[in-house]
Amino acid sequence: MANLNLKSKQDRTYQAIVIGSGISGSWAAKELCDLGVKTLMIERGRNVEHGKDYPTTNMLPYEFEHRGQIPQAIQDENPVISRCYAFREDAMHFFVKDTEHPYVQEKPFDWIRGYQVGGKSLLWARQVQRWSDFDFEGPARDGFAVDWPIRYKDIEKWYSHVEKFAGVSGFRDGIDTLPDGEFLPGYELNVVEKYFAEQLKKQYGGDRHMISARCAHIHGNAEQFAAQGRTLCQNRQLCQRGCPFGGYFSSNSSTIPWALKTGNLTLRPDAVVHSIIYDEEKGKATGVRIVDRLTKETEEFYADVIFLNAAAINTNLVLLNSTSTRFPNGLGNDSGLLGKYVAFHNYRAGVSAQYEGHSEYTTSGGRPTSGYFPRFRNVYKQETDFLRGYAAGFSASRGARSNSDGIGMELKNNLLNPDQYGLWSVGSHMMGETIPKESNYVALDPSLKDEWGIPQLKISVDYDDNDEKMVKDYIEQMSEMFTKAGFINIQTRDDHRAPGLDIHEMGGVRMGRDPKTSMLNANHQLHAVPNVYVTDGASMTSTSTQNPSLTYMAFAARAAHHAVAESKK
Amino acid sequence: MNRRIALRHLALISGGLIMIPSCDFSKEDILAAYQNLNITQSQKNLLAAVSDTIIPAGEIKGALDLEVADFILVMVNDCFTKENQGKFSTGLAAFPEYVKSTAGKNFDALSAKEKEGIILSGAKLEGDDTEEGKKNGAISYFLNSAKRFTIQGYMASEYIQTEVIPYSLIPGEYNGAVLITDLQKPRVNG
Repeated sequence: MANLNLKSKQDRTYQAIVIGSGISGSWAAKELCDLGVKTLMIERGRNVEHGKDYPTTNMLPYEFEHRGQIPQAIQDENPVISRCYAFREDAMHFFVKDTEHPYVQEKPFDWIRGYQVGGKSLLWARQVQRWSDFDFEGPARDGFAVDWPIRYKDIEKWYSHVEKFAGVSGFRDGIDTLPDGEFLPGYELNVVEKYFAEQLKKQYGGDRHMISARCAHIHGNAEQFAAQGRTLCQNRQLCQRGCPFGGYFSSNSSTIPWALKTGNLTLRPDAVVHSIIYDEEKGKATGVRIVDRLTKETEEFYADVIFLNAAAINTNLVLLNSTSTRFPNGLGNDSGLLGKYVAFHNYRAGVSAQYEGHSEYTTSGGRPTSGYFPRFRNVYKQETDFLRGYAAGFSASRGARSNSDGIGMELKNNLLNPDQYGLWSVGSHMMGETIPKESNYVALDPSLKDEWGIPQLKISVDYDDNDEKMVKDYIEQMSEMFTKAGFINIQTRDDHRAPGLDIHEMGGVRMGRDPKTSMLNANHQLHAVPNVYVTDGASMTSTSTQNPSLTYMAFAARAAHHAVAESKK
Repeated sequence: MNRRIALRHLALISGGLIMIPSCDFSKEDILAAYQNLNITQSQKNLLAAVSDTIIPAGEIKGALDLEVADFILVMVNDCFTKENQGKFSTGLAAFPEYVKSTAGKNFDALSAKEKEGIILSGAKLEGDDTEEGKKNGAISYFLNSAKRFTIQGYMASEYIQTEVIPYSLIPGEYNGAVLITDLQKPRVNG
């Protein structure tokens, strides 16, 4: 038996282990495999193979028993996930139900998760805006969190690297706050969106922009993606079901099959990570301990380098649960900062209105993106009574609707001949930067465990006064911009949603220059355990306003190349 | 979902109804396919007649042909809160008496025009806290829900979305400035 164990230990040894198969993990694995590194990718959920495991992808509306709606009993049992906009009958199977993996909410926090190979890359909104130095320099300039140890120049080529492979559609807008990238042809704004963009230029002297949001869709030219087996986005707007065309970037359609094709990737689904194994003698991490999701048996895998990409909150959980004599409070946690300074994006407010102009126009076809306001508040200097600012989504729409008044043949003919155009509807939602604080944290619950014997997380994250002021400012500013553009019937909302529903939770394992005030160095290595890299949302020192996934991809690619270069030293 | 399909299949094989036996033999049995509702076959038939008044058959099939009543009951059974299920069931149960007291006949015996009139007036009933008011509120709730789901179940049916207004999984490239005058479509005559 002893021999068997030895052999099996050898069989379970790789050059690198990547924990997590979502956007950042799959990018780490893809880069490592391309560089010839024998890599094991561990995923806690089931396997989802591109094209094969998208059960609803070609279903027609009438094939859904409840026409898309989630039954009441499921909503009652799962109030958190039921608040997520994409948790519908067609994609329900890609979300974690509240009952499947409970956590403790010291304060309300909607933790939205996708446990399967590909993670939330199947479900994301596919918005990919670059950061600029206005973002990386934010904490140092405004005196919060700690200074980012990197700047735009460190990450610029990695943005280009991942954009070329993932496929990003957009226009070269030439805006300081939102650097241009490697773009496929962009999606034109519609006639009212263009009108609004022009109005902003006129009314605000060129300081405020509304552009076509850059999105991770293959548009205009698919040639360079043929090698990945992906082709043009078909404008189906059914992305959350998994795309048989690979029209948008997901781990499942892109990075994972690519990495598998190198022959260097081993995929291990159904493996819930318990902890990272730390060898006190060697002074480094040597492997990963997992619990099989189905059999509940424990197993260990070994490697020289470990990438932790479990998605922000679960990455914190893995490190917190990786204790040893050297690290009694969690792996690499000499500073005591692990789990602290968690932040998110403030999505609470929206403004909608109607527009009487351009009444001769409507739109046709579909598109996977809409308009985007880069941050315009406090960019060049501090100008408000709150720190930082917000980006915003914007879209205008108009379609033919049916008159559903009346009854009988009159109603029937109205329904079958939709010809009510009404006015254009316009709408915007805020994406506010929140300031990371020590009091916003995640920690292990001292007694509660999950189904796999791993401590449950307790989450304590809340808004602060800065967020309240920002919500107010967004509503005022957007209302003013709408008014100046001649929009009417302006309606504002602050839905007071819990943090988390933005699905942009970040931090807890932040980067920094000083091991005393941060967990990771400029290369995403744990200061105290340099063969462990964290390149997902947990590594974020501040949140800025852009949808963060593109930055995680660039971080993962950059860190993977760093790890390989280190191993050759 | 599987349970309901199984029950439906069984209903077909047995030539009609699956009943949950009730102890009171004077009462009609409850349809087991809608386990959260106490709905009898004759109530389902009435609902089907209501849906067919809302969207009748003509050159194009109507709500009855497409069995929209089943869709309505599935939605109420699965997607309504307990409270709203109660209101819907109460309204459905109270509707025959409302018809009789208002029109002097059973729903079935009314002309198409009379049926439309009674649904329109019933949908406008206002409820209050009295016994009668609660009943009226439930009737209008039932009729408005029935109309909403009739429209949804009818328009999002396989028949409409394949034969009348075909649904496309591939909607085509976006055009953000289409002149409405360029979109004249031949009128569909129901």
